[in-house]
Amino acid sequence: MALDFDRSILGTVFDETLFAPITKEEILEFAAALGETNPLYTDEAAAANGPYRGLVAPPTFVTKLRPNKMTPENMPKFGKVGFDGGRDLNVFEPVRPGDTLTMVSKIHDIYEKTGRSGSMYFIVLRNEVSNQHGEKVAVIDHRIMQR
Amino acid sequence: MSSFYFEDVEEGDEFPPLDLFLTKDQVRRYAWTANMDFPRFTDDEGARKEGLPGMIAPGVMSMGLLARMISDWNPAARITRIGTTFRSPVLPDTRLHLCGAVTQKDEQTHTAECDIWMENDDAERWVIGTATLALPTKSA
Repeated sequence: MALDFDRSILGTVFDETLFAPITKEEILEFAAALGETNPLYTDEAAAANGPYRGLVAPPTFVTKLRPNKMTPENMPKFGKVGFDGGRDLNVFEPVRPGDTLTMVSKIHDIYEKTGRSGSMYFIVLRNEVSNQHGEKVAVIDHRIMQR
Repeated sequence: MSSFYFEDVEEGDEFPPLDLFLTKDQVRRYAWTANMDFPRFTDDEGARKEGLPGMIAPGVMSMGLLARMISDWNPAARITRIGTTFRSPVLPDTRLHLCGAVTQKDEQTHTAECDIWMENDDAERWVIGTATLALPTKSA
Protein backbone atom coordinates (compact mmCIF):
# COMPACT_ATOMS: atom_id res chain seq x y z
CA MET A 1 0.00 0.00 0.00
CA ALA A 2 1.34 3.40 -0.91
CA LEU A 3 2.00 5.69 2.00
CA ASP A 4 -0.12 8.79 2.16
CA PHE A 5 2.06 11.90 2.14
CA ASP A 6 2.85 14.85 -0.07
CA ARG A 7 5.61 13.50 -2.32
CA SER A 8 6.78 17.00 -3.22
CA ILE A 9 8.63 17.11 0.12
CA LEU A 10 11.10 14.50 -1.18
CA GLY A 11 14.35 16.14 -2.27
CA THR A 12 13.31 19.61 -1.12
CA VAL A 13 16.08 21.40 0.75
CA PHE A 14 14.88 22.34 4.24
CA ASP A 15 18.14 23.55 5.70
CA GLU A 16 21.49 24.94 4.64
CA THR A 17 24.04 25.57 7.38
CA LEU A 18 27.52 27.09 7.10
CA PHE A 19 29.72 26.02 10.01
CA ALA A 20 32.53 27.90 11.73
CA PRO A 21 36.02 26.81 10.62
CA ILE A 22 36.96 23.38 11.91
CA THR A 23 39.74 23.59 14.49
CA LYS A 24 42.63 21.24 15.05
CA GLU A 25 41.55 20.92 18.68
CA GLU A 26 38.07 19.64 17.83
CA ILE A 27 39.52 17.05 15.45
CA LEU A 28 41.95 15.85 18.12
CA GLU A 29 39.22 15.77 20.77
CA PHE A 30 36.83 13.87 18.51
CA ALA A 31 39.53 11.29 17.73
CA ALA A 32 40.41 11.00 21.42
CA ALA A 33 36.75 10.50 22.42
CA LEU A 34 36.70 7.43 20.14
CA GLY A 35 40.07 6.19 21.38
CA GLU A 36 41.64 6.55 17.93
CA THR A 37 45.40 6.03 17.83
CA ASN A 38 45.83 6.38 14.04
CA PRO A 39 48.45 9.16 13.65
CA LEU A 40 46.51 10.56 10.67
CA TYR A 41 43.92 11.74 13.22
CA THR A 42 46.00 12.19 16.35
CA ASP A 43 49.54 13.31 15.53
CA GLU A 44 50.01 16.48 13.52
CA ALA A 45 53.73 15.94 12.90
CA ALA A 46 53.36 12.31 11.76
CA ALA A 47 50.30 13.17 9.64
CA ALA A 48 52.32 15.85 7.82
CA ASN A 49 54.38 13.04 6.27
CA GLY A 50 51.33 10.88 5.53
CA PRO A 51 49.09 10.58 2.47
CA TYR A 52 47.08 13.73 3.30
CA ARG A 53 50.15 15.91 4.08
CA GLY A 54 48.50 17.00 7.29
CA LEU A 55 46.08 16.15 10.06
CA VAL A 56 42.60 14.98 8.98
CA ALA A 57 39.46 14.12 10.91
CA PRO A 58 38.25 10.53 11.43
CA PRO A 59 35.65 9.60 8.78
CA THR A 60 32.64 9.83 11.12
CA PHE A 61 33.59 13.37 12.24
CA VAL A 62 30.96 14.86 9.89
CA THR A 63 28.20 13.18 11.94
CA LYS A 64 28.86 15.69 14.73
CA LEU A 65 27.83 18.65 12.57
CA ARG A 66 24.51 19.99 13.84
CA PRO A 67 22.53 21.87 11.21
CA ASN A 68 20.28 24.78 12.21
CA LYS A 69 17.26 22.61 11.56
CA MET A 70 17.71 18.88 12.22
CA THR A 71 14.29 18.04 10.76
CA PRO A 72 11.94 19.91 8.43
CA GLU A 73 8.96 21.81 9.80
CA ASN A 74 6.67 19.58 7.73
CA MET A 75 8.31 16.36 8.98
CA PRO A 76 5.72 13.63 8.37
CA LYS A 77 4.53 11.66 11.39
CA PHE A 78 3.44 8.09 10.83
CA GLY A 79 3.95 6.68 14.29
CA LYS A 80 3.92 7.57 17.95
CA VAL A 81 7.61 7.06 18.66
CA GLY A 82 10.77 7.69 16.69
CA PHE A 83 14.06 5.80 16.87
CA ASP A 84 17.46 6.35 15.37
CA GLY A 85 17.40 3.48 12.89
CA GLY A 86 20.86 3.90 11.45
CA ARG A 87 23.26 5.89 9.34
CA ASP A 88 24.86 5.47 5.96
CA LEU A 89 27.90 7.60 5.41
CA ASN A 90 29.69 8.09 2.09
CA VAL A 91 33.06 9.78 2.39
CA PHE A 92 34.63 11.67 -0.54
CA GLU A 93 37.16 14.15 0.84
CA PRO A 94 38.87 14.38 4.23
CA VAL A 95 38.05 17.15 6.70
CA ARG A 96 41.07 19.27 7.66
CA PRO A 97 41.67 21.98 10.24
CA GLY A 98 40.52 25.34 8.87
CA ASP A 99 37.86 23.86 6.58
CA THR A 100 34.59 25.74 6.43
CA LEU A 101 31.90 23.17 5.79
CA THR A 102 28.40 23.61 4.47
CA MET A 103 25.61 21.13 5.07
CA VAL A 104 22.52 20.94 2.88
CA SER A 105 19.64 18.86 4.26
CA LYS A 106 16.65 17.28 2.57
CA ILE A 107 14.19 14.44 3.01
CA HIS A 108 15.61 11.78 0.74
CA ASP A 109 13.10 8.97 1.04
CA ILE A 110 10.09 7.70 2.95
CA TYR A 111 9.08 4.06 3.00
CA GLU A 112 7.19 1.49 4.99
CA LYS A 113 8.25 -1.97 6.13
CA THR A 114 5.94 -4.55 7.59
CA GLY A 115 7.32 -7.06 10.05
CA ARG A 116 6.01 -9.40 12.72
CA SER A 117 5.44 -6.50 15.11
CA GLY A 118 3.45 -4.49 12.57
CA SER A 119 4.29 -1.60 10.31
CA MET A 120 7.37 0.53 10.63
CA TYR A 121 7.96 3.74 8.77
CA PHE A 122 11.35 5.03 7.71
CA ILE A 123 12.15 8.63 6.94
CA VAL A 124 15.58 9.08 5.41
CA LEU A 125 17.10 12.51 5.96
CA ARG A 126 20.08 13.27 3.75
CA ASN A 127 22.85 15.70 4.76
CA GLU A 128 25.27 16.69 1.99
CA VAL A 129 28.52 18.17 3.27
CA SER A 130 30.84 20.25 1.09
CA ASN A 131 33.92 22.34 1.82
CA GLN A 132 35.18 25.82 0.95
CA HIS A 133 36.71 24.51 -2.30
CA GLY A 134 33.29 23.36 -3.50
CA GLU A 135 34.31 19.71 -3.09
CA LYS A 136 31.80 17.13 -1.96
CA VAL A 137 33.07 15.92 1.44
CA ALA A 138 30.42 13.46 2.57
CA VAL A 139 26.81 12.38 2.29
CA ILE A 140 25.07 11.19 5.43
CA ASP A 141 21.77 9.33 5.25
CA HIS A 142 19.99 9.24 8.57
CA ARG A 143 17.23 6.63 8.88
CA ILE A 144 14.60 7.66 11.36
CA MET A 145 12.27 4.82 12.25
CA GLN A 146 8.73 5.48 13.41
CA ARG A 147 6.21 3.03 14.74
CA MET B 1 50.36 -0.40 14.20
CA SER B 2 51.33 -1.32 10.67
CA SER B 3 49.76 -0.65 7.30
CA PHE B 4 49.31 -3.22 4.61
CA TYR B 5 48.22 -3.46 1.03
CA PHE B 6 45.24 -4.57 -1.02
CA GLU B 7 47.28 -7.59 -2.14
CA ASP B 8 47.78 -8.68 1.48
CA VAL B 9 44.04 -8.85 2.17
CA GLU B 10 41.93 -11.90 1.39
CA GLU B 11 38.19 -12.46 1.30
CA GLY B 12 37.21 -14.02 4.62
CA ASP B 13 39.94 -12.23 6.57
CA GLU B 14 38.66 -11.20 9.98
CA PHE B 15 39.68 -7.97 11.64
CA PRO B 16 41.25 -8.27 15.07
CA PRO B 17 38.28 -7.61 17.38
CA LEU B 18 38.31 -4.38 19.35
CA ASP B 19 37.24 -5.38 22.85
CA LEU B 20 36.38 -2.60 25.20
CA PHE B 21 34.50 -1.77 28.34
CA LEU B 22 32.49 1.30 27.40
CA THR B 23 32.13 3.50 30.49
CA LYS B 24 29.47 6.15 31.09
CA ASP B 25 32.21 8.77 31.24
CA GLN B 26 33.43 7.77 27.79
CA VAL B 27 29.89 8.07 26.43
CA ARG B 28 29.47 11.50 28.07
CA ARG B 29 32.76 12.69 26.65
CA TYR B 30 31.72 11.57 23.18
CA ALA B 31 28.26 13.15 23.57
CA TRP B 32 29.79 16.47 24.57
CA THR B 33 32.38 16.58 21.81
CA ALA B 34 29.92 15.36 19.16
CA ASN B 35 27.17 17.90 19.96
CA MET B 36 24.94 15.12 21.27
CA ASP B 37 24.67 16.19 24.90
CA PHE B 38 21.04 15.20 25.28
CA PRO B 39 19.91 13.66 28.61
CA ARG B 40 19.56 10.17 27.10
CA PHE B 41 23.30 10.17 26.35
CA THR B 42 24.55 11.89 29.50
CA ASP B 43 22.58 10.81 32.56
CA ASP B 44 20.53 7.87 33.78
CA GLU B 45 17.76 9.95 35.31
CA GLY B 46 17.21 11.97 32.13
CA ALA B 47 17.25 8.81 30.04
CA ARG B 48 14.65 7.12 32.28
CA LYS B 49 12.34 10.12 31.83
CA GLU B 50 12.49 9.31 28.11
CA GLY B 51 11.48 5.72 28.81
CA LEU B 52 14.92 4.18 28.49
CA PRO B 53 16.39 1.80 31.08
CA GLY B 54 19.31 4.21 31.59
CA MET B 55 21.69 6.31 29.55
CA ILE B 56 22.67 4.91 26.17
CA ALA B 57 25.49 5.54 23.72
CA PRO B 58 24.65 7.58 20.60
CA GLY B 59 24.32 5.44 17.49
CA VAL B 60 26.96 7.51 15.74
CA MET B 61 29.38 6.68 18.55
CA SER B 62 28.98 2.98 17.73
CA MET B 63 29.59 3.87 14.10
CA GLY B 64 32.70 5.81 15.09
CA LEU B 65 34.00 2.90 17.18
CA LEU B 66 33.48 0.51 14.26
CA ALA B 67 35.45 2.91 12.06
CA ARG B 68 38.17 2.92 14.73
CA MET B 69 38.25 -0.89 14.71
CA ILE B 70 38.99 -0.73 10.96
CA SER B 71 41.60 2.00 11.48
CA ASP B 72 43.27 -0.08 14.25
CA TRP B 73 43.43 -3.03 11.83
CA ASN B 74 44.96 -1.08 8.98
CA PRO B 75 45.63 2.65 9.43
CA ALA B 76 46.11 2.96 5.65
CA ALA B 77 42.62 1.65 4.85
CA ARG B 78 40.45 4.56 3.74
CA ILE B 79 36.78 4.18 4.59
CA THR B 80 34.80 5.41 1.58
CA ARG B 81 31.47 4.16 2.85
CA ILE B 82 30.20 2.93 6.19
CA GLY B 83 26.61 2.01 6.91
CA THR B 84 25.26 0.94 10.27
CA THR B 85 21.90 -0.24 11.57
CA PHE B 86 21.16 0.39 15.23
CA ARG B 87 19.26 -2.74 16.25
CA SER B 88 19.27 -2.30 19.98
CA PRO B 89 20.22 0.51 22.40
CA VAL B 90 23.89 0.33 23.39
CA LEU B 91 24.08 0.45 27.18
CA PRO B 92 27.34 1.63 28.74
CA ASP B 93 29.19 -0.16 31.54
CA THR B 94 29.12 -3.21 29.29
CA ARG B 95 31.86 -5.21 27.63
CA LEU B 96 31.59 -4.69 23.89
CA HIS B 97 33.26 -6.44 21.01
CA LEU B 98 33.67 -4.68 17.67
CA CYS B 99 34.23 -7.15 14.89
CA GLY B 100 34.39 -7.43 11.14
CA ALA B 101 35.43 -9.48 8.16
CA VAL B 102 36.28 -8.88 4.50
CA THR B 103 33.48 -10.25 2.33
CA GLN B 104 34.56 -9.22 -1.17
CA LYS B 105 37.54 -7.72 -2.95
CA ASP B 106 37.32 -5.65 -6.13
CA GLU B 107 40.52 -5.97 -8.19
CA GLN B 108 39.57 -3.05 -10.44
CA THR B 109 39.02 -0.42 -7.77
CA HIS B 110 41.31 -1.91 -5.07
CA THR B 111 38.50 -1.79 -2.60
CA ALA B 112 37.24 -4.32 -0.10
CA GLU B 113 33.69 -4.79 1.12
CA CYS B 114 33.30 -5.88 4.71
CA ASP B 115 30.72 -6.81 7.29
CA ILE B 116 31.07 -5.04 10.62
CA TRP B 117 29.22 -5.43 13.89
CA MET B 118 29.20 -4.66 17.58
CA GLU B 119 28.19 -7.39 20.00
CA ASN B 120 27.99 -7.91 23.75
CA ASP B 121 29.33 -10.85 25.79
CA ASP B 122 26.21 -12.85 24.86
CA ALA B 123 26.99 -12.40 21.16
CA GLU B 124 23.91 -10.20 20.69
CA ARG B 125 24.61 -7.94 17.75
CA TRP B 126 23.47 -4.51 18.85
CA VAL B 127 24.85 -2.77 15.78
CA ILE B 128 25.41 -4.29 12.35
CA GLY B 129 26.68 -2.80 9.15
CA THR B 130 28.89 -2.87 6.10
CA ALA B 131 31.78 -0.77 4.90
CA THR B 132 33.79 -0.19 1.74
CA LEU B 133 37.54 0.30 2.18
CA ALA B 134 39.97 1.72 -0.35
CA LEU B 135 43.34 0.07 0.15
CA PRO B 136 46.79 1.08 -1.06
CA THR B 137 48.18 -1.18 -3.76
CA LYS B 138 51.70 -2.41 -4.43
CA SER B 139 51.29 -1.76 -8.16
CA ALA B 140 50.62 1.97 -7.76
